[in-house]
Amino acid sequence: MNQSNTARMSDARARVTGRLPFVLNERIPGMLHAALVRSPVPHAEIRSVDTEAATASPGVVAVLTAEDLAAGGEPLVFGDARQDQPVLAHDRVRYVGDPVAVVLAETRRAAIEACSLVDVDYADLPHVVDPQESVSDRAPLLHAAHGTNVLATWTLRHGDAETAMAGADRCYEDTYVSPSASHVPMEPHVALARWTGGDVEVVTSTQAPHVVKETVARALRLPGERVRVRCRNVGGAYGAKVVTTIEPVVAAAARAVGRPVRLELSRAEEFHTVCKHAARVRIRTGVRADGRIVARVVDVLWNAGAYATNSADAAGYGMVRAPGPYNVPNVSVTSTTAYTNTVPSGPFRGAMTSQLCWAYESQLDDIAADLGIDPVEIRRVNLLRDGDRYPTGEVMKDLHYDEILDAVTSGLADLPPAPPRRPGHARATGVALVIKSTQTPSRSECVLRLDADGGAELLTGSVEIGQGAHATMRTLAAQALGLPECRVSVRPPDTAVAPYDSLTASSRTTFAMGAAVEDAAARLREKLRGLAATALGTDPSRLQDAPGGFSGPDASRVTYEEILRRSGLDHCEGHGRWASTGGLNSLDADGQGSASTHWHQGGVAVEVDVERETGKVRVLRAYGASFSGRTVSPVRVSQQNNGGMIFGLGPALFEELVYEDGQIVNPNLSDYMIPSVLDMPILLGDSAIESPPGGPREPHGVGETTVPPMAPAIGNAIRAACGIRIRELPMTPERVLRTLDQEAGSQP
Amino acid sequence: MIGEFHRPGDLAGALEALADAGDEGKIIAGGTALVLMIEQGLVAPSVLISLDRVRDPMFSGVELVGRTIRIGGGETLAAVAAHPLVRQALPGLAEACRRVGNVRIRNRATLAGNLAESDYASDPPAALVAHRATCRVVSLDGERSVPVERLITGFYENALHEGEIIAEILVPVPEAGTRSTYVKYISRSSEDRPCVGVAASLRTTGGTVADIRVVVGAVAGTPQIFPDVLAAATAQAATPSTWKAVAAGYAELVEPLDDARGSAWYRTRLIDVMIRRALAEAAEKSSR
Repeated sequence: MNQSNTARMSDARARVTGRLPFVLNERIPGMLHAALVRSPVPHAEIRSVDTEAATASPGVVAVLTAEDLAAGGEPLVFGDARQDQPVLAHDRVRYVGDPVAVVLAETRRAAIEACSLVDVDYADLPHVVDPQESVSDRAPLLHAAHGTNVLATWTLRHGDAETAMAGADRCYEDTYVSPSASHVPMEPHVALARWTGGDVEVVTSTQAPHVVKETVARALRLPGERVRVRCRNVGGAYGAKVVTTIEPVVAAAARAVGRPVRLELSRAEEFHTVCKHAARVRIRTGVRADGRIVARVVDVLWNAGAYATNSADAAGYGMVRAPGPYNVPNVSVTSTTAYTNTVPSGPFRGAMTSQLCWAYESQLDDIAADLGIDPVEIRRVNLLRDGDRYPTGEVMKDLHYDEILDAVTSGLADLPPAPPRRPGHARATGVALVIKSTQTPSRSECVLRLDADGGAELLTGSVEIGQGAHATMRTLAAQALGLPECRVSVRPPDTAVAPYDSLTASSRTTFAMGAAVEDAAARLREKLRGLAATALGTDPSRLQDAPGGFSGPDASRVTYEEILRRSGLDHCEGHGRWASTGGLNSLDADGQGSASTHWHQGGVAVEVDVERETGKVRVLRAYGASFSGRTVSPVRVSQQNNGGMIFGLGPALFEELVYEDGQIVNPNLSDYMIPSVLDMPILLGDSAIESPPGGPREPHGVGETTVPPMAPAIGNAIRAACGIRIRELPMTPERVLRTLDQEAGSQP
Repeated sequence: MIGEFHRPGDLAGALEALADAGDEGKIIAGGTALVLMIEQGLVAPSVLISLDRVRDPMFSGVELVGRTIRIGGGETLAAVAAHPLVRQALPGLAEACRRVGNVRIRNRATLAGNLAESDYASDPPAALVAHRATCRVVSLDGERSVPVERLITGFYENALHEGEIIAEILVPVPEAGTRSTYVKYISRSSEDRPCVGVAASLRTTGGTVADIRVVVGAVAGTPQIFPDVLAAATAQAATPSTWKAVAAGYAELVEPLDDARGSAWYRTRLIDVMIRRALAEAAEKSSR
C-alpha cells in the first residue's frame, strides 16, 4: 500500500496558513481594479446612469455601463445554461445587488470609493421574493422574453402513485421548508482578465474553468479559442464557484478599457452573488401497516433567484433525487423552479438534495413513530438494494445502504460517551440516509505527460479547492504508472493546455477525472511499452509492468527515462478520456430513463442534547458514512465525511439568508451565522463503505454525502428526545421552544 | 474616505485631535466595532484618531485605589477578564469580558471602546451596571463622572458629549460576602453576541437577601434594571422562590426587542430563565 494513502496532503500546512498561491494572490502588471455599482432596489427600470462624478474621482480611469460594454449595439448577456443575465444591467435591475456599472481605477480603494458617486435613476417596479407568489398570475414578471416566472418544471411518474396512495393503510402529508443560505468560502470570488490582441486570458477562482471559458466566449461573442481560463488553488467554494459569475464583466471591462482588470468581491458582495436554492417541499407518503412505503408524491418549488444560472437543470436533478434511497413502487414528483427578485441561486454542497432529504428523512421517522416501528427498522424495510428499480425505472447496482445504516448506528454507539446529561436537558439519537445522483452526462479528459527525467505531469481541468482533488489524481497517476508520488506533479488548471473537464463539482472528480487519469496512464504505458519493445528489439507483449518502467523476459529492467532517451524523445503523452451518456435530458416526459452514471450513498447518525427551557440544540456526537467504492485516500475520505457533517450543522441550526422588503438583512458575518469551532460535535467518527472485491471497484467522490442527512438526523434526534417535529430550517432554539410549547399546549 | 490617521501619545493629544476633526473625526481603540461600522457604511469618518499609542496613566492599568478598582479605559477585554483583582472582586465583570466574541476580538477590543460603542447586544455593560461602575470622561474642558447606568441612553446612543473620551472606569469594591456573576445566553453560533445577558450580584446574611442587583443586557436599548423588583426581594429568604419572583418581575417589566437572535416573546421567556440561573449561581457562590 502506498504510504500516501494514510498521509495528509503534502501542502496541507501551507494551504491552511495561506502560503500557497491562491487566485486571490494573482496580480497582472498594469492592471486596473474594478468595483461594481450594485442595485439597492429589488426590481426597477433603469431610467438613467450618471457616471460623470465617479469618472472625475481621483484614481478612476473609467466608469462603464451596459452601453459601454455592448457589442454590435446589443448589451452583453451571459449564463452557463441560459443567457438571461446581463453582464451589466441595461434596462432593469432584478435583485438587490444586480450590477449596474463597473468602476475601474488605479487602486481598489479608489474604485470602491467612486461607486457611491455613480448616480442611477431607478423607477421601482413591484417585486417578488417568494416563489409561491412569483408563480401566480398577479406576480410581476422578471423576464418578459421568458413569458413566465416559471423557469422549468420537471415531472417523474413511476407506477400509479395516486391509486396506491388511496389503497395505503395510512397516508402522511407534510411540508418542509429550507431557506436560502450562503456558501461563505474563505476566498471570495476574484477574477482577472488580460487581452492580447483579440485573445483574452481570464484567471479566476472557479470550480469549472472550461465552463467559464465557454460562457465568457459566448457572452463576449468570441470564438472559444480566443478565451483562455486559468485557475490556481481555490480558497473554498462549496458550489459558489460552479456557475460563471463575475468573469464576463471582468473580461468585458478589460476589453473596453484596454488594460488588464482585477475584481475581488467583498464579503457583502459574496452574499449578493450566488446562494443556495430555497425550497418548499410538500411530501405525501402512503404506507402499509408494516411500514412498507407503497406510494410517494413529492411537490417541490425551488427559488431560482433573479437569473437562471443552472437552476433549470438543477430542478431536474432535484426531481431525480426526491424519492430518497427507498424502493418505492409508485412515485410522482413535480419539481418546479421559479424566478424571483432575489440573489441568483446555484449549487450548494449537497445541492438539490439537502432540501429533499430534510423532508423525506424527517417524515419517515414520524411515520415510524406513528406505526410503532423503530426508525432504523423502517429504513431496513424500505431500503433500495441491488436489483431494485429506482423511480426513474433504472435497475440499481452497487448499493450499500444496509452497510451504511449499520456503520452509522453502530459507529455512533461505539463512540465514547458525551459528558453526562444535565437536569432539564433531553437527549436522543437520530439517523438519516441520502441518495444523490451525479451530473450526467459529463466528460473529463486529461493529459498525462512523461518528461525526459522520468517524472510525470498531469494536465487537468479539475480544480484543487482544498478537497484534495490534485492529491488524489497524483495518487491515481502514480499508482497506474508505478512511480513514486513525488515524481508526479499536477499543473494548475489552464484551458490552453488541459483538455476538457465538465466541472469540479457534483462529487464527480475522483470518479470521472480519476477514470480519465487511469485511462491516460494506461495509454501512456502502452505507448512506452511499444517504444521500449522497439528499443530493446523485443515484442511488447514480452514486457511486464514494473515500477517506473518495464521488465523484460530475461529479468532485465528498463526505466521510463531510458525508454525516452533511447527513443530520442523528450517527452511522451497519454490522453485520457472518460464520458458518460444519458442523464437528465435523456429522460422521457415521465422522468424515465438512465438518470445517473452512479449514485452517491451516505448517512449520518447523531446524538443531540436539547435544553428544554431554552430550546437550544447541541449536537454531541455524530457519525457519518459514505460509499467510496474504492478508497484512494482514507484520510481524505474521512476528512470529507467529517467536514460534510460540520458543514451540514450550519444550515441545520444557524444559517439563513433573511429578506425584508427584497433586501438581505444579514449580508455579513456578524449577522449571518456559520458554526464556530465551539459548535462542533464533541465527538466525530466516520466510515468509508467500499465495493466488494472482485467486481468493478471505481473510486467514488464523497465530498457532499454527509451534508444532506445532517439536518434530518438532528431533527429526528430532537423528535426522539422531546416528541416534537420541526419542519422549517434552521432549527433555532426559538423554533424548538415554540414547538415544545405547542406540543405541551396540545396535551390534555 | 479616511484621509487622516492620528496616533497621539497621550489623552490630551487625542482630545486635541478630536476637537480639530470635529464631526469628521472618530476615535478608534481596538477597532472591533468601528471597522465593522465603516465596512457596512454605517459611519464614514474622514479622520481617525487611534488610541493605540496613548500612554496615559489614566487610560491604562487595573489597580485598587482605596475601595475602588480603577480600570484604564484602554485595557483590552482580555486583560480585564484575566486580571486577578477583577477576577477576585468582580467575577461577574470578568465573566462578561471573557465571554465577548472570541479571543481575537477580546485581545483587541477595549473596555472604554465597548462602552462608547453602546451596542445593546454586548456583555460588559450589564455587568458594569450591576457593579455600580462609573466612567471618568475627559474633554478639553476638564473631566466628569458618569455612572455607566446613565451612560448608555439608547441603541448605540450615549450621554457622551462631542469631544469627550472615556478615560477610565471606576468600580467600587463590593461589600464583603457579595458574589457577582454573569450568565450569557447565545441563541445562535457560539461566537455570537448575547441574545440575553444577565449580570447579578448578591449578598446574603443569615439566609436572607441583604443586597441584590440584577441587570439584563442585550434585550433592549439599554441595560435593564428594576429597583422596585429588587427592593421587593431584599430581606426575603435567599431561596429559589425569591429568584423566581425576581425573574418573573423582570420578565413582566422588560419590553424586549425583536432581532435575529430572538423575538420579544422568546426574550421574555429567556429573561425569566436566565435570571433564575444567574441568581442561583450567585447564591451558590455566596454560600460557599
